[in-house]
Amino acid sequence: MTRPVRPFYIWVARLAVGGLFLAACLSKIHDPQAFALVVYRYRLLPDILINIMAILLPWMECVTALAVLFATARWRAAGSFLIGGMLLVFTLAISLNLIRGIEISCGCFSTRADVAVSDGWNLFRNVALIWLSTVVFLDAFRRMQAQAEERPS
Amino acid sequence: MASCAILLLIAGGTGLVVNALRPASSRLPWANDWSRHIEAKAFQAGIPVTFLMGVRESLLDEDIVVLDARPYEKFMEGHLPGAWSLPIGEVGERIGDYVHLLAAETPLLLYCDGADCSDSLELAIELRGYGFSDVTLYPGGYEEWQAYGGDIVSGGMP
Repeated sequence: MTRPVRPFYIWVARLAVGGLFLAACLSKIHDPQAFALVVYRYRLLPDILINIMAILLPWMECVTALAVLFATARWRAAGSFLIGGMLLVFTLAISLNLIRGIEISCGCFSTRADVAVSDGWNLFRNVALIWLSTVVFLDAFRRMQAQAEERPS
Repeated sequence: MASCAILLLIAGGTGLVVNALRPASSRLPWANDWSRHIEAKAFQAGIPVTFLMGVRESLLDEDIVVLDARPYEKFMEGHLPGAWSLPIGEVGERIGDYVHLLAAETPLLLYCDGADCSDSLELAIELRGYGFSDVTLYPGGYEEWQAYGGDIVSGGMP
């Protein structure tokens, strides 16, 4: 049985989601102290969790991005599911700060100080990425199911 | 779900190992005392803070007065464009001039050396005590501005 050819847009979605998350983790891994300050400035986490978040989050972004870009359907599904979850949390955090009037840069792709302050564009971009990660997840999930059906019982 | 948990374990393990292997200067401790951070103190004192991009905009706004809380010698060596000098140690002697020159509702932007200095925060608290109601702190201070490559002016006040 031949597998269906994957539509072009799935590749684009994988490249966009995986590529952006891979790009996003680089500056955070490079300078964890600057990223901890970014996390602190959100004023959403208790102090005790700020550094732990700054240590773990960039690697969560890195590992899930690699899974979406290069792994088999099972790991791709898990990676895109986790990326969708992270994006939901990021979107909620940025929204809360916009509502509270806290003017900080989102720290999404850079920990530098000269990055523009978060605004509605960040929310729009995140919603678009959530949609793309859902597309990647559904494709990977369907492939997992197809592979399971192909296996001899 | 098991795959998600495995990915999280891989990510968490890698993060912890990489952090442990970093040189001490860039290693992140498990927890910092963030309550001692200048921004936390400003937050507790109810003083708003602004960051580099906000400062860039503020410098273009002629209504905002920028105050340098560092010692006068440092101010003379270099300061943000348009800044006035009001060292924290000289507030008592010089505040009369400022009260005379500025309305109480004048927006003030304060800075000192950088994230490790508290002079601008102390000045902000003092100025509020003198009736200035619109005081904002730039915690990145002169060091961040200089590292960013922002314009520096040396010499006396405008």
